[in-house]
Amino acid sequence: MSLVTILLVAGALIGIGVWGALAQQSFVMLMMGIELVVNGVILAAAGFWAETGAGGPKGQVLVIVAMAVMAVEMAIGFALVAAVYRARQADMTEGIGSLRG
Amino acid sequence: MMGGDRIDVPSGIDPFHPALAVPVLLAVVGLGAVIAVILHRKVASSLAGTGGSPATSAAAPLREARWLARQQVVTTERPDLATWILAPAAYLGLAVAALSVVPLSAGVAVADVRTGIVVFGAAEALAIVVIFLHGWSPNSPYALISAYRFVAVALSYELLSMFVLIAAAIPAGSLSIGAIVDSQAGLWNVVRQPLGLPLWLVVSWGVTFSGPLAVVDSADLAGGGGVEDSGLQRLAWAGARAAMLVVFAAAGATVFLGGWQGPVLPGGAWMALKTAALLAVLVVGDITLARMSAQRFVRLAWAVLLPLAFLDLLIAGLGSL
Amino acid sequence: MIDVAFVVFSLTAVVSGYLVFRVDSMIRASFLLLASFLNVGAVLVLLLAEYLGTALLFMMTVEMIVMALFMVMFMMNPAGLNPMSMVHQPRVAAVAGVVAAGGIWAVALFAEFPDAPVVDADQAVRDLGFELLGQSMLVFESAGVTLLATMVCAVVLSAARGRYGDGYEGSVAPPLDPGGDHRPEDDLVDDDAAGDHHHGHGGM
Repeated sequence: MSLVTILLVAGALIGIGVWGALAQQSFVMLMMGIELVVNGVILAAAGFWAETGAGGPKGQVLVIVAMAVMAVEMAIGFALVAAVYRARQADMTEGIGSLRG
Repeated sequence: MMGGDRIDVPSGIDPFHPALAVPVLLAVVGLGAVIAVILHRKVASSLAGTGGSPATSAAAPLREARWLARQQVVTTERPDLATWILAPAAYLGLAVAALSVVPLSAGVAVADVRTGIVVFGAAEALAIVVIFLHGWSPNSPYALISAYRFVAVALSYELLSMFVLIAAAIPAGSLSIGAIVDSQAGLWNVVRQPLGLPLWLVVSWGVTFSGPLAVVDSADLAGGGGVEDSGLQRLAWAGARAAMLVVFAAAGATVFLGGWQGPVLPGGAWMALKTAALLAVLVVGDITLARMSAQRFVRLAWAVLLPLAFLDLLIAGLGSL
Repeated sequence: MIDVAFVVFSLTAVVSGYLVFRVDSMIRASFLLLASFLNVGAVLVLLLAEYLGTALLFMMTVEMIVMALFMVMFMMNPAGLNPMSMVHQPRVAAVAGVVAAGGIWAVALFAEFPDAPVVDADQAVRDLGFELLGQSMLVFESAGVTLLATMVCAVVLSAARGRYGDGYEGSVAPPLDPGGDHRPEDDLVDDDAAGDHHHGHGGM
């Protein structure tokens, strides 16, 4: 377990997340891709904190910020999905070709 | 779960030898589960005035267990077999994991880690996932409906449990459950934080889907989550649920009734007595309280019980000034 | 021992992360994502970030339960045990994913990092506590205010009734053939009752 191996794993998670977010049509699956990206970011930040931070709080705070981002992304994302569904009955990205209400 | 080397646990608790821990915990939960089932039947029959039937004898649960274990296991069309089969085992595992951070007597806990109540809360949250998957995996409508209904209820009681536990941790100044017991040497939390225990009972009924929150394997959905279970699966699920009831009674006794503390008797005996007392309360409630509709409970939880949990936190904070 | 645990946890995290986009059912997808998070949480504990690891574990468990709930709200098949494949631009997505991963792998393999591992895990947790809840509690308060704003926005966005009337107004079921820019008024031509459909009941 070294910083290099941790970053390799984090890179794999981020890559899979990007692929998922771009390839999936369903809003909810798209959000899962974003979650996976943040998962990789959390792992990378924790790795940097553990191996290069000498135990200072900087890296851990970055992880907490990433967790907060994830919580906000989920809440706003689902609220948007609910709003779009009410307005358009759309649950896939193709369902909203334009933002006209 | 926390692994590694633990550093100066506040209450100086020595864990069991790792090789012993799992068998000991399983024995405790297993015995507790059998007692819980027998107690449940005795109370039910005495309340209904049908005492002395064969079903209430002490040997009856074991007899039925043997009978169930030999039954044929039937499956449904295209179930998610892996989660269906693993759900009871996972539920039992989470009960055991939750019990591992609870001190059973003075200085006797498997893992009195510094983040004890967080571990307990995580096990409780994962139990929601397991109960949901158990209902979802048979690919059967009633089981599925009960699983979703449970998720709505569970998301509502989950917050209560965390606030109540955090309130109990405030006087202790630590998240370790051993420290929470030590903090009750002078005065039990049930007196110091009167709202805690009633809310804990609600959470316990929720996690074990019994009493007013019996929304999972309930008769109104023809058996709900357990409608497709048969034989060994049914036995394992019922056993795991009884075990979870015991674990939540033990946790309640530890966090609110001073745990192993008490005069004259040894710590383990006090712990057993208090756990049995809370178990009796939970069982009587399970039998006597009517099921609430999920919608009503969700409204009650967010509008009434959650503010009460905040009040509980406030009382705990003011008491620690 | 720690290395073995690390390999197991991280492989599980990556494989379950990949399976999220490969399985048929959205329920499986959300709980595989949870598995990925739990394993990353376990790696965090191995990295001596005990507090963050347990926090991640706890937070993501509840979050994925909510995720599963929404999955089913927005799905044509509630049980989700039927095969499904809903993807677009697969090639672009795959290339973007490889590029994103490749960038980080390049950093991992070719960059020079300082070597300053954590010396005292307890001290690190204490420092983090003071950083979050220290003199001005800046981090904690920022997070709190951000989440408060999030809650307000989420309620405003998802409220069934807004300033401009019922949230379902003009709402019509999507056409059977997916895709395209589907607008409610497209359907009004041959369906005079479409304007006052009321799907669902807004209750949750």
